[in-house]
Amino acid sequence: MRNNSFFYFLTLNLLKEKRRFVGIVLISTLLIFLLSSVLFISSSIKHTLNQTLIAQPDFIVQNIKGGRVSPIKDEQVDKIVDIFGVKKVTKRVYGRYFFDDKYSALIIGVDFLDEQSNKKLAKIMDSVDLKSFLSKDNMLVGQGVLNYLKSHYYTSNYNFLTPSGQMQKVNIFKALNVKSSLLSNDIIVMPLELAQKVLGLKENELTDIALNVPNDSEWANIKAKLESLNFSTRVVTKKDMKKAYENLFNYKGGLFLVLYLIVIATFSLLLYLRYSLASSLERKEIAILRAVGWSIKDVLKLKFLENIFLVIFAFVLGSSLAYIYVFILGAPLLKDIFLGGANLKQFTTFTPVVDYSVLSTIFIVFAVAFLGSVLIPVWKIAVTEPKEAL
Amino acid sequence: MVKIENLNKFYEIDGQKQYVLNAINLNIQKGECVILKGVSGSGKTTLLSIIAGLDKPSSGKVLVDGEPISKLPDMHLSSFRAQKIGIVFQNFNLLDGVSLADNAMVPLIASGIGLKEAKLKAQDALKLANIDHKANKTPIELSGGEKQRGAIARALVANPNLILCDEPTANLDRANSLSFIQTLKELHNMGKTIIVATHDSLFEELDFEHRVVEISQGSLVGRG
Amino acid sequence: MNELFLNNYVIVYLFSEAVLFLIALYAFFKDISILRFWDFNNFSSKQLKLEKQSYLLSTIATFIFTLKLTLLIYFVYMIDSLSIIIPGAMCGAGVISANSYGMSLLFVKLITIFTFLLFLTLNNLDLKAKNYPLLKFKSWVLLAGLLLIFLETYLDIAYLFNIDLSVPVSCCSALFGNLEGANPLPFGLDIKMLLILYYTLFVSIILSLLLDNKLLTAVTLILFAVISYYAVVYFFGTYIYELPTHKCPFCMMQKEYYYIGYFVWGTLFSALFFGLIWVIIGLLKYESKVLKRITVTSLVLFVSLCSAYVLYYYFKNGVFL
Ligand SMILES: Nc1ncnc2c1ncn2[C@@H]1O[C@H](COP(=O)(O)OP(=O)(O)OP(=O)(O)O)[C@@H](O)[C@H]1O
Ligand SMILES: [Mg+2]
Repeated sequence: MRNNSFFYFLTLNLLKEKRRFVGIVLISTLLIFLLSSVLFISSSIKHTLNQTLIAQPDFIVQNIKGGRVSPIKDEQVDKIVDIFGVKKVTKRVYGRYFFDDKYSALIIGVDFLDEQSNKKLAKIMDSVDLKSFLSKDNMLVGQGVLNYLKSHYYTSNYNFLTPSGQMQKVNIFKALNVKSSLLSNDIIVMPLELAQKVLGLKENELTDIALNVPNDSEWANIKAKLESLNFSTRVVTKKDMKKAYENLFNYKGGLFLVLYLIVIATFSLLLYLRYSLASSLERKEIAILRAVGWSIKDVLKLKFLENIFLVIFAFVLGSSLAYIYVFILGAPLLKDIFLGGANLKQFTTFTPVVDYSVLSTIFIVFAVAFLGSVLIPVWKIAVTEPKEAL
Repeated sequence: MVKIENLNKFYEIDGQKQYVLNAINLNIQKGECVILKGVSGSGKTTLLSIIAGLDKPSSGKVLVDGEPISKLPDMHLSSFRAQKIGIVFQNFNLLDGVSLADNAMVPLIASGIGLKEAKLKAQDALKLANIDHKANKTPIELSGGEKQRGAIARALVANPNLILCDEPTANLDRANSLSFIQTLKELHNMGKTIIVATHDSLFEELDFEHRVVEISQGSLVGRG
Repeated sequence: MNELFLNNYVIVYLFSEAVLFLIALYAFFKDISILRFWDFNNFSSKQLKLEKQSYLLSTIATFIFTLKLTLLIYFVYMIDSLSIIIPGAMCGAGVISANSYGMSLLFVKLITIFTFLLFLTLNNLDLKAKNYPLLKFKSWVLLAGLLLIFLETYLDIAYLFNIDLSVPVSCCSALFGNLEGANPLPFGLDIKMLLILYYTLFVSIILSLLLDNKLLTAVTLILFAVISYYAVVYFFGTYIYELPTHKCPFCMMQKEYYYIGYFVWGTLFSALFFGLIWVIIGLLKYESKVLKRITVTSLVLFVSLCSAYVLYYYFKNGVFL
């Protein structure tokens, strides 16, 4: 490459013509930046959600009453444990608690004596002295909850108002500090029995039951067995949840992408016109090259490498800027549009994930549109008659 | 070196054939210097560009160094032109914004030659054309005479046997024109075949062996 | 219209295919006029224009080929990622068999790529000669390639619009797993015979390439490709997955297996395509050492990769699956 005279001339030409390319590169960079930002955000959210899904059980068994999820009796657990092929059956108690009209947090009840509990929680509990934690009514709170409580002058404890109208005082034991920002901010972790009280569940009532089925091929079979346990039982699988997440973000991402393609089509048209109106100066230069011995193929090579360079340059620039904008600056403005104002506090920062499929998607959209629209105009310039140099 | 048989070139205007070149027969030996003379519009440039393969004839045969140049596909024609033919244009036709050294390299690039070798060859050619002291200047920074030396360097860089010049002195003053003729003489002494299309009277008093061919309204005057 | 068309991959894929379709349509008319009016011995301006247009066509063909190759990989990736939203599918195998168009689409994609690769090779040879000796032939090949693109576009639409998200598809274990008693292998082969054939054909291809025997190379290559498909799915694949019951041509292209499937199938098709092109241009009396070298290299890579998985498993566990 270093000793290649063709590339030397290519860079020479690019430097010489930089003024002509500035506009095109600017617009291209902007377009790539826009698409990259949106795709980076959506793939980051998807990744975070999937990350939490990994820790999720394969199956969740719920009780349905009047079409809504209602508490499930804990005697179901014993029946489920008896099904062959089922592992890690876990009682789960959780629910939202509304501190006021605007602020709510997720209360998660954990059976701390049950070693089968969520792996993630086990990690959190490493730094907690279990004995003193369980000795009183204590809770662990996420950063968001802590901030809320502090701003309302609750520094050591909080009085929860249970659905039956009673007060339940719980001490703030410690603030949680978890990597996955999706979960950590607005959650409260407390012992199972305490969570039942705060959420207004009876002692033998659970929110739902989780279980794992290690053998994939048993899934369909076990799902059918679970559903036949009780008339009101609903079974949600991990794949259902994954699909729900997938569709949730496909709607926003997909609609955006369709709009974006319309913009890209307009850009292509402009590019086509711009390249078709080759300046007489440019034609003259090509004619000179042709006259001193460049073939049509050589000129095509030069012109295409030039354009491929522009595409790659704009791609690297645009996507790097998007990376900074999304993952370092936290995507101001776009975040509000993308998340539609809901649950904003959950995403204070985005986990930086950029995979090949996102990058190749961005590159393909742009390269196809760009190179496709300059294809014919570039050929037209390349076949300029060399006699025009005379 | 150049063999032209019954060459015709016409443009069709409103269905009528307008002959620019008419039944041209011409034979140029290796090492010959031919001065192609004729008034403006007589067809000198057209003839020259057909010999260089820049333009196609309407009919007839053109052999350059044994190659039927008007029937070569573009790839072959181009590499033939790059290796065997050097062209000096009337308005020099250097690439703007590119230094003389890089300009002189241009014909070599398409043949896929290494950068180092290309730079060395360009340097040699600039020396040969007496302009190596301005190698790093771009065309805007040069006078007409200097630009022409640059153009000559570019024409010589691939060491071609055939040199074609179209009105080489039209944009030069007398001193520069004389110096160009001096360069021409050196090239002639090196054994290059040279064809110069011109109506400059300076070429009537050359002090080295040459042949004058006159063209008038697309036909050669006298024997070719 | 369903959720499928809001998937990023699907949108981008359809967009790119649409752009390629338009360009192919344009090239189609240009190619027709070259086939009709080409006359190299003519000095007319029409002929000059056609010569220039032939450069446009080779540019377009290069563009289409590069993109089709990229989009094939993208398509396979897309199919795999769609398995999340298609009920029952665990990998690309289930998605591609969601309806009868899927497999045809994949097949047409491969043939399209082969045709364009053939065109580009012929074009290269043609431009090297001084009188466009292959012009008519390469133009017909291009025409075939363009028609294949039209067919592919039709199949794209037929396939994607006919995926019903409410109907579960089969997963790979149901598609490729041993049904009771039924032998999935062709010609009544068993695994042992399959492997003997696999390695015998491999050696035969190398030999016929060395002997410059065109016909033998073509026959052995095609047979080898067919046998390799079964060998990879029913034997070598199980060593990639390290699970004797896991038989699937698609799962190996997932991240869990380090995307090795792309390399496995890539080397196989590279050997098949370049080998066949070597045969075709050989029949036209052109020799190409480069093509031969690519064929041999891909073939050796493919066979060693497959064998390496088996050997690796054996050394690690001391037994075969
Ligand atoms: N594209 C064209 N269409 C029609 N006529 C043309 C075309 N190009 C050149 N001609 C005609 O061909 C004739 C010869 O042109 P040419 O440039 O060869 O003359 P010349 O001898 O080089 O003149 P000058 O000394 O002015 O450079 C001119 O009469 C010109 O009008
Ligand atoms: Mg002239």
